[in-house]
Amino acid sequence: MTGEEIIEKVKAGLPDAIQDTALPQGDAVIFVAPDCLQKVAAFLKDDPSLNFDYLSDVTGVDYLLEEREPRFEAVYLLYSIDHSHSIRIRVGIEEENPSVPTVSELWKGALYPEQELFDMFGFHIEGHPKMERLIMPKDWVGHPLRKDYPLTTEAVTFSYNRDFKSELVKSKPPTR
Amino acid sequence: MSVTEQGLLERDKDTMTLNMGPQHPSTHGVFRVILEMDGEIVKTAEPEIGYLHTGIEKNCENKRYIHVIPMTDRLDYLNPPGNNLAFCLTTEKLLGVEIPERAQSLRVIMCELARIASHLVWLGTHALDIGAMTVFLYCWREREMVLDLNEEVSGVRMMTSYIRVGGVAKDATRPWLDGIRDFIDYFPAKVDEYELLLTNNPIWIDRTQGIGVLSREEAIDWSLSGPALRASGVNWDIRKSHPYSGYEKYSFDVPVYQGGDIYDRYRVRIEEMRQSREIVKQAIEKLPAGDYKTPDNKVSLPPRETLDTSMEALIHHFKLVSEGISVPKGEAYVPIEGPRGEVGFYIVSDGTNIPYRVKLRAPSFMAIPGIWELTYLASQEYSCPT
Amino acid sequence: MGLIEDAAERVGTEVNNLKLNVQDAVEAMAHEYAGSLYDSILTTKLGKVVGWAQKNALWPATFGLACCAIEMMAMANSRWDAARFGAEVFRASPRQADLMIVSGRVSQKMAPILKQIYDQMPEPKWVISMGACASCGGIFNNYSIVQGVDRVIPVDVYVPGCPPGPEALLYGLIKLQEKIMAEAGTEKAKKRAA
Repeated sequence: MTGEEIIEKVKAGLPDAIQDTALPQGDAVIFVAPDCLQKVAAFLKDDPSLNFDYLSDVTGVDYLLEEREPRFEAVYLLYSIDHSHSIRIRVGIEEENPSVPTVSELWKGALYPEQELFDMFGFHIEGHPKMERLIMPKDWVGHPLRKDYPLTTEAVTFSYNRDFKSELVKSKPPTR
Repeated sequence: MSVTEQGLLERDKDTMTLNMGPQHPSTHGVFRVILEMDGEIVKTAEPEIGYLHTGIEKNCENKRYIHVIPMTDRLDYLNPPGNNLAFCLTTEKLLGVEIPERAQSLRVIMCELARIASHLVWLGTHALDIGAMTVFLYCWREREMVLDLNEEVSGVRMMTSYIRVGGVAKDATRPWLDGIRDFIDYFPAKVDEYELLLTNNPIWIDRTQGIGVLSREEAIDWSLSGPALRASGVNWDIRKSHPYSGYEKYSFDVPVYQGGDIYDRYRVRIEEMRQSREIVKQAIEKLPAGDYKTPDNKVSLPPRETLDTSMEALIHHFKLVSEGISVPKGEAYVPIEGPRGEVGFYIVSDGTNIPYRVKLRAPSFMAIPGIWELTYLASQEYSCPT
Repeated sequence: MGLIEDAAERVGTEVNNLKLNVQDAVEAMAHEYAGSLYDSILTTKLGKVVGWAQKNALWPATFGLACCAIEMMAMANSRWDAARFGAEVFRASPRQADLMIVSGRVSQKMAPILKQIYDQMPEPKWVISMGACASCGGIFNNYSIVQGVDRVIPVDVYVPGCPPGPEALLYGLIKLQEKIMAEAGTEKAKKRAA
C-alpha cells in the first residue's frame, strides 16, 4: 500500500485515536497521544491489510530548541514484512514526568530501544519489565540526549560545534 | 560400586553462573554477557552493553552535515560505506536531490565490497573462535585486497568517507576498476575454499547445526534483520523490498534458509558473499558514463576550473565551504541493507546546516536482546552432541 | 722514470705483499679457531639480556575495543605478520600478557574495567595507545568518551592515526622495543621488575 492508502485506512479504522497525519516525502506518518498508543499499535499489527508485524526502531526526539509543545516525542518505525510497506508513529510527550506506554507486548524487539529511551531521554516506559539504565553506567546522572545536557565536559580550542555549547561548557565544571 | 550404581550421574545438575566479558577471549567487540551454564550448555544469557557507547548521535547534532559523514564511518566500522550511504540517502531525501547514475553505481560497488569485507571478518573470527585458525588467515588475505581497493579510491583502508551527500567523493580511477575486475575473477574460488574447509566439516556442523534456533515468528518479533532474519526463513531484504541506489537494476538472489540456527546463518552469509560479487560484477560491466556527483551546486562543489570564470560558481563554492549544506525543515528515515541487517538514519532537520536530531537504527543493537529468547529455547530443545 | 717513482713503486709492492701475508695469516687463524666464538665470554648486565629477551617476546592482551581492533587483528594476520617481531601471541587472560594495546575509544563505562585489566597484568608491562581516540579522544569530544587513555593508565607509545594502519602499529611496536632496550639495565627497569 502507498502512504496515502495506509493513512486513509488507519483514519477509517481509528477515527478518535489519530491526532494528525502527514506524508513527508511519501512516508506515512501518524501522530498519536501516549494514552492511545497501545490501541493504535494493536490495530496496526492486527489489521490483516496493514499487518505491521515488524518493529524496526523506537527513538526519541527532544524539541527543546524548537520551542514547541509538547517538548518530547517518541517515534516508532514499523514495517509489514508481507506487504513491504512502512509507517511512522510520532507520540508527543509532556515535559513534566515524561511517560509513554510500552509496546513490547506486541513486538518484543521494542524492549531494548524502550530501555534506551529511558536511559537517553528519561522517559518512563509504563509496563516495561526492566526500567534501568542500559547503555550508560548504572550510577550516571542525567539523560545525555536531552538538548539541555552538555555535549562535552572539556573545552577545546577549536570547534565547529554550535556556539551555545561553549556556554554550557563554561557553566558546568569539569568532572575531574 | 560403579559410578552409575552410586547414582552420581542422576544427581540434579547444578548450574554455574559465568561472567563473559567485557574482555573475553573473542573480543571482537566489547560486550558482556552473564551466562547460566549447565555444563557446556548455556541455559540463560543476560547481555550487558554500553561499553563502547560513543555518543555519536549527540556529536552529530552539533556538526554540519558534511562533518557527520566521518562520524558515520566509525559507527559500524566494518561497513563504513553502508553507513555513509544511509546517512547520505536520508539527507538527500530531505534535500530532494537526484543522484547521477554513475554515482549510484559507484556507491553500490563500494557497499557490496564492504559487505564482502565485513562477512570475511565475521567468517574468520567465527571460525577462529571454534578453533579453525586457517580460515581466519585465509579470510584476512582476501579482506586485505578489498582494503587495498578502498585505499586506491579513497586514500584510506577502512574509514573511506567515500560516499558524500550528492554523489561520491571523487571519480573511479582506472587502477581501482582494474583491481576490482581482478578481484571478482579471483574471489569465487576462495569462497569455495572456505566452504571446502567448513561446510561439511564434522566439527563445524556439530558446533553450529541445531544451535541457537530462532523460528520465523520469533525472529520477526525480536526485530532481527539481515542474515539472521533470512536464516529463519523470512524473505526480507531492503535491497529488494525498498530498493535504493538503483538496486532494482541488478539481478541477484536473496538467500533464504529455513533452519534458523547458526549453521543456516553461516550459509546465508556465504551465499551473500557470492551474490555481492555478482552485483559488483554487473555494476562494473554496466558502469554508466557521466557525473560522479550531482551538478546541483547548492549540494556539491562546482568544478574547480569554473571558479576562475564564473562568479556564481565562486559564490556557491564559498557558501558550501564556509557554511555547508542547508537542509530544509522536516524529518526522514531511509533504511539500507547493511552486512548485519537494516541500517537506517532518522534525521530531523530544523532548516539549518546542522542536523537537529540524528538517530541510527543499528542492526546489532536491535538483535542483541534476541539472545534471551535464543538461550531460553536452546535450554529447552538442544542437547549436547556426544 | 725517476728514482723517486721507482722507489715508491717498490715500497708499494712491499706493502702489498705484507698485506697479503697478513691476510693469509688471519685466514689461517680463522680457520684454526673456527667455532671458538661459542667458548668466548661476553660481559654485560643481566638486565640488558633480560630486556633483550623481553623486547622480542611481547605478548599482547586481547583487548580490542573499536575500529582500531580490526587493524590490530590485521597486524597479527598473514599479510603484516607481527610474528616477525615476536608479538603475535595474543593472550585472552591479562595474567599472561605483558603488552596492552588499547585499540580504540575508551568509554566512561569501560574505563574502570580497562584499569582493572591493566592492574591484573604482571610486571613488567607496557601499554601502546593505538589511534587518535585512545590517545586523546579523537573526534569524539563528548560526554561518553574518556579524552585519552593516559588519564587512566600510563602509556609508553602513542600511535597516531584514525585508525592507524597495521604498518603504523608495527612501527609503534618497534619503537616500544627500542624503548625497552634503552631502559634495560637502568634504575627504571629495576623498579619495573621489583
